[in-house]
Amino acid sequence: MVGRIHVVDDDASFRTAIERRLKLAGYQVATYPTAQQLLDRLPDENEPSCILLDVRIPGLSGPELQGRLNELGSTLPIVFLTGHADTPTTVRTIKAGAEDFLTKPVGSEQLLGAIERAMARHAAVRGERHRLEEMRALVAGLTPRERQVFALVVRGKLNKQIAHELGTTERTIKAHRHQVMEKMKVQSLAELVTLADRLGVLG
Amino acid sequence: MIKTVSLRGLIVGLVALLAPVSVSAQETRPHSVLVLDQSDGGTFYFQLLSGLRDVVATHDDAHVTLYSESLDLSRFGGPAFEEGLKRYLKEKYQDTPIGAVVTVGAATTDMVLKWRAELWPGLPIVFAMLDEMDFARIKSPPDVTGVIVQLPLADEIKVARAVVPDLDTIALVGDTWDGLVVYRNWGGEVASAAAGLKVIEIVGQKLSDIRKQVAELPARSAIIYSAVFSDGEGKYYLPSIALGLIAEKANRPIVVAAETFLGPGGIGGYVLLPRKIGEEAAKLTLRILDGARAAEIPPVYGGVKPIFNWQQMQRWNVSESSLPDGSEIRFREPTFIEKYRWQSMAIMAALLIQAGLIAFLLHERHLRRDAEVESRNRMSELAHVNRNATAGELSSSIAHELNQPLGSILTNAETAELILKSDNPDLGEIREILADIKRDDQRAGEVIRRLRAFLKRTPFETKDVDLNEIMNEAFKFLSVQASARNVALYLQTAPGTLRIKGDPVQLQQVVLNLVVNSMDAMAAIPYGRTVIGRTELNGGSTVEISISDSGPGVPPDKLAQVFDPFYTTKDQGMGIGLSIARTIILAHNGQIWAENQSGGGAAFHFTLPLAA
Repeated sequence: MVGRIHVVDDDASFRTAIERRLKLAGYQVATYPTAQQLLDRLPDENEPSCILLDVRIPGLSGPELQGRLNELGSTLPIVFLTGHADTPTTVRTIKAGAEDFLTKPVGSEQLLGAIERAMARHAAVRGERHRLEEMRALVAGLTPRERQVFALVVRGKLNKQIAHELGTTERTIKAHRHQVMEKMKVQSLAELVTLADRLGVLG
Repeated sequence: MIKTVSLRGLIVGLVALLAPVSVSAQETRPHSVLVLDQSDGGTFYFQLLSGLRDVVATHDDAHVTLYSESLDLSRFGGPAFEEGLKRYLKEKYQDTPIGAVVTVGAATTDMVLKWRAELWPGLPIVFAMLDEMDFARIKSPPDVTGVIVQLPLADEIKVARAVVPDLDTIALVGDTWDGLVVYRNWGGEVASAAAGLKVIEIVGQKLSDIRKQVAELPARSAIIYSAVFSDGEGKYYLPSIALGLIAEKANRPIVVAAETFLGPGGIGGYVLLPRKIGEEAAKLTLRILDGARAAEIPPVYGGVKPIFNWQQMQRWNVSESSLPDGSEIRFREPTFIEKYRWQSMAIMAALLIQAGLIAFLLHERHLRRDAEVESRNRMSELAHVNRNATAGELSSSIAHELNQPLGSILTNAETAELILKSDNPDLGEIREILADIKRDDQRAGEVIRRLRAFLKRTPFETKDVDLNEIMNEAFKFLSVQASARNVALYLQTAPGTLRIKGDPVQLQQVVLNLVVNSMDAMAAIPYGRTVIGRTELNGGSTVEISISDSGPGVPPDKLAQVFDPFYTTKDQGMGIGLSIARTIILAHNGQIWAENQSGGGAAFHFTLPLAA
């Protein structure tokens, strides 16, 4: 699995060592001696990537960077790696969405495992979001009348009821319903209901 | 007069016949004595007469009247003079009852013996100071007794040999032998007594000539001085004064034969003791006045003793041991202690008291030293405890600092392992990795070394240290802690090195305590936490270090208290950090104080003396 790892650590020696190791594992590596430098060049969210972040860095600290990235809506997975882990910091960062919290010295297997897991999760999140966006695009393709029909169909209303509710004929509704199924690229009503659930149309 | 005396004698004789022997012999003779001396009025005769007078005065039984005449026979003589003198004495004492005549010197004795039949028939004569030869010459006439002095020239030569061990020459200085009254017999003795010695006779000469000659005597010689009364040209001297003038010029020691010659410059010798002679003669006279018959009293010997002048002995380098047995030494310069007895005792006492005081003070000093060492040890121990506590507080920093290189090492090692497993390992990279591992290992080792040095329980020891280096190291130690606590840490050191004498570990501890204290003080403020360390030269002799922060500062009324032990504002603080900082700085002869900065925040300062 390829991807880009962003290493933020003030220790030059450690940056070199970890870069070497990660490259050997097949990753692309970008290193930053300070948190600010990463903020200045925000990594591309859409490529598989992970941030390897030290807790104690002069200037902006690791947890602070995490907060800023969250504020910016970043979904980049963050694995913390620190020389000394104290419980409050660990809890705070995990709560704030860190993928993992590792303590130096860390074995390669453990580190790579953590990175892989983080990236896999990130990939899953990314895939999910991608599908949702697709679905939203489909919904956007519906006419207002079709959208009304869609909303009522997924709530289990019969054509007759919908026609009555919208003040039109059952036949017209039938045609709209066919259009909706077509535009939303589903074969069955069950599929349409699931889709509506994921889009939050139900609720 | 004569009638009276003989009448009295008759009465006494009758009384003696009638009364038992045990009857007191008092009033047997008139208690008056006529003393005739040959003197010129000099010291010698004065002493002799006063010795005589003193003994006579102690005669308790009856008062004795003394008449005395100085006949001056050393300067005057001749038949006409003697005749006049006889007439004078006869007329003068015609009506005076005399119990005995004391004659001083051979010349007087001769004269009185000659006149006795005419002037004082039957009167006992007590001679003072006849030498043996003169005594033999007078052939023991009746009713004559006295004090015989033994004063042979041989004795004085013996003394001269003692004074000059390698003696080969003697110089005899004095009037012509015939002109002398006391020492005239030496003239005939020279040949036998001075056998084997070269003899230079400087007799009967003008004083100025004598002075010239005695200044040029050969090395292994000694002078034997009899007496100089006249210079043969009508000038007369007291022999002791003449001796003084001679001694002034003499280049050799002068052996003398009268006690009165010791002072003016004689080194000593068998000397006549005029006082003693006078006393002995007086005793004999009193016995006679009290009734003893002169003929029954044998003459006594005495009045001569070897006496030496200590100062002259020093001058001629004569040791006491070479002197004849029984010698007495006069004019011994009293030692300082003899001279200033009370003063020296006072000084000794003062010295003793002072010594005691010094000993006491030394003892005190020793105790104080011990106490100081003890307190310093205590301080070191407390400082050690404080360092342990500080290290505990800084443990996360320490762990971080250690784990950083350890993490690099592990990662690098694993990477290298992987590279080596590959088909075509990149040895260049392996080399780089190994170099990195080595460097990181040293880094970790350095952290451990610093920590161990900091935690070591060491006695207080001073070394030559650079204060800038201590500050740098302490701030490096604190950097991680500072970043963890979101404190900006700045250090501004004076250029160059700041050499001081001190204990590096303890000084570092002071800096750590002050900075940690500042960081603690700023824990509550939300942002802008800053600690600035500064070192600067303060004049030419001290260096000032300041640690200032951007915290809330110290309440003005607590500024003096912050260094007190157990003063703390923190929940978990022991209150010993600043107190130990002060103790350490004081032990380094420095000063420490706290103040609030005008722009807010507290500033702690301490000064240390620069190493000379």
